Formats: sequence, C-alpha cells, structure tokens
Amino acid sequence: MSPEGQIHSAKPTPASNLYTIILAFAFCMVLATAAFVAYKCYFDYSTLFKIP
Amino acid sequence: MSNLTKILIVLLTISAIFLCGIVVTYVANADNFKQKYDNQHKEVGALEAKVDSLTNQLNEKVQQKDELEKTLNDKIASMKTQADEVQAKLNTAEREKAELVERTNNFASVTKAFSETSEKQTQTLNATLEEVKQVKADQIKQAKELDETSAALMEKNAIIDSLNAEKRRLVEDKADLENRLDKILRAGGKVTAAGTPVTPEGGSASAARTGTEAIALKAKVTEVDMKNSLATISIGSADGVKEGMKFHVTRGDKFICDILITDVDTDKAVGVLELVSQPLKVGDNAVTNL
Repeated sequence: MSPEGQIHSAKPTPASNLYTIILAFAFCMVLATAAFVAYKCYFDYSTLFKIP
Repeated sequence: MSNLTKILIVLLTISAIFLCGIVVTYVANADNFKQKYDNQHKEVGALEAKVDSLTNQLNEKVQQKDELEKTLNDKIASMKTQADEVQAKLNTAEREKAELVERTNNFASVTKAFSETSEKQTQTLNATLEEVKQVKADQIKQAKELDETSAALMEKNAIIDSLNAEKRRLVEDKADLENRLDKILRAGGKVTAAGTPVTPEGGSASAARTGTEAIALKAKVTEVDMKNSLATISIGSADGVKEGMKFHVTRGDKFICDILITDVDTDKAVGVLELVSQPLKVGDNAVTNL
C-alpha cells in the first residue's frame, strides 16, 4: 500500500485473495439472507413491501 | 492492504454472519400474521353466525317460554279451581267422617247391647231347648194316644157314614110321606105344618111330631062360566094358591059351591065347580076354611 508500488505498476492487483474471498462470502451471505427474507415475505403475505 | 482494512473486513464479515444468522432465525421462526388474521376472521364469522343462530334459538326459546308460561298460568288457574273443589270435598268428607265416627260409636254401643241381649237369648234358648225336649217326649206320648184315637175315630166315622146313609133314606121317605099328606090335606083345605126339631143339640134322638094347620086364604069370584062349570078367583100363586086346593064359595051365610083349582096364575086361579047348590055370581066369597 505504499505510494511506491502504485507508481511502479499501473495495473492494480489485490493485495490478498483471502480477504477478497472473505468479503465475497460476506456479501453472498447478506444477499442470500435478503433473498430468503424476500421469499419468506412473498410466500406468507403475497407481497414484498406492502402491508397486507 | 493495511492491517486496519483487513481487520475491518474480518469484523464486517463476522458481523454480517452474525446479523444474517439472527435475521434468518427470526424470519424462520416469525409467525404468519396473515394466516392468523384469516383464521381469526373465519372464527369471528363463525362465531357471529353462531351468535345469530343462538339469538334465533333464544328468541324461539323466549316464545316457547311465553307460551309455556301462559299454558302454565292457565293450568295453575285450573289447578286452583280444582284445589278449591278438592278442599270443599275434603271438608264434606271430614263432616261425613265425623258423622261416620259418631255412627260407629252408636253401632258399638248397639253391638254391646246386642251382645248382652244375645247372651240372655242364648240362656233362654237353652232353657227353651230343654222344654222342647220335654215337649217332644210328651209329643211322642200324645202321638201314640193320637194313633189310638184316630183308629177309634175311623171306626166312629164308619158308623157315622152308615147312619148318614140311613138318614138320607129316612129323609127321602119323609119327603114322600109329606107329599102324600099334602095331597090328602089340600083336598080338605089344610097343609102340613113345618116340623119342629124334637131333639135338642147334644141330646138323644126322639120321634118328630107331625101336625096340620089351616091355609086360611080368602078371595072373590071374578068370572063365572056356568056352561063349562068353571070359575075364576081373585088370588093366585103369589098368595099361595096351588093346584088341587079347594075353595068353598059362600054368599052371606049360604053355601053356594066348591071350586077345585085346576090352573093357577100369579094373580088369579081357575077351578072346576063342585057341589053346586045355587047359581054362582061374580063377587061371591071364596075361602079355603069355613
């Protein structure tokens, strides 16, 4: 993360794939949770945002 | 990548996992309020329908109650009337009961007196039975005497029958003799007098005395038929004139003739003239005894 490295190479490369994977996992988990909540709301109340 | 960024990524991931777990757990275990609402709404509808039906049933029950109350009031009124009648009958029955109790007491006293009388009559009956036994013994003796007397009576009856037959024969003889004597005496203007019994009741029999008496009839000559020697006098069978009688006709102290009666009517008689000494005239006296 030093300014020297940014100067020497123009193509950004991830510092570590591990943290990218962790972040992606977290993102997927949040997305799956949102999908599950949406599915559950539509199955039970037949709508996503309206109050029946 | 700085360490701070790494730490933030890890913390972000951990917090995301934690929050996602909480959200999933909550959503998975959350109640379905719509379904609950629908169920509650259905239950409310069913309960309202039930309330309506129960209200209708209540109204029907109220009507039935009113009708039943009216019927029961009528029955109560009739039962009161019947109770009054029964009370009146009860009073009458109590009066009759009192009368019957009084009668029972009277009957008890009468029964007691009757028992005493019955005992006395039993004693009297025993005495009477003794007398009856004695009387029966006497009766047996009297029956024997009665048999003996009956045998004697039968003998006497046989004697009486023979005497009655002889009496009838004597009566017939007497009647025959009286007829003969009447014929003889009428020619002389006399009849036989009624005989008087010479045997008093309970006395011994004796011969009857016979006698004569004058007829003593007087008449007038009403018609004269000298050609046929017939004459009619003014009396007949109503005065005792009979065929065969002889009337002597007189005029003053003179004897005219005799009239032998041959035909008798109720108020006149006709006869044949005999011993005519002078001509006969109407108005001459005719008598049976001079």
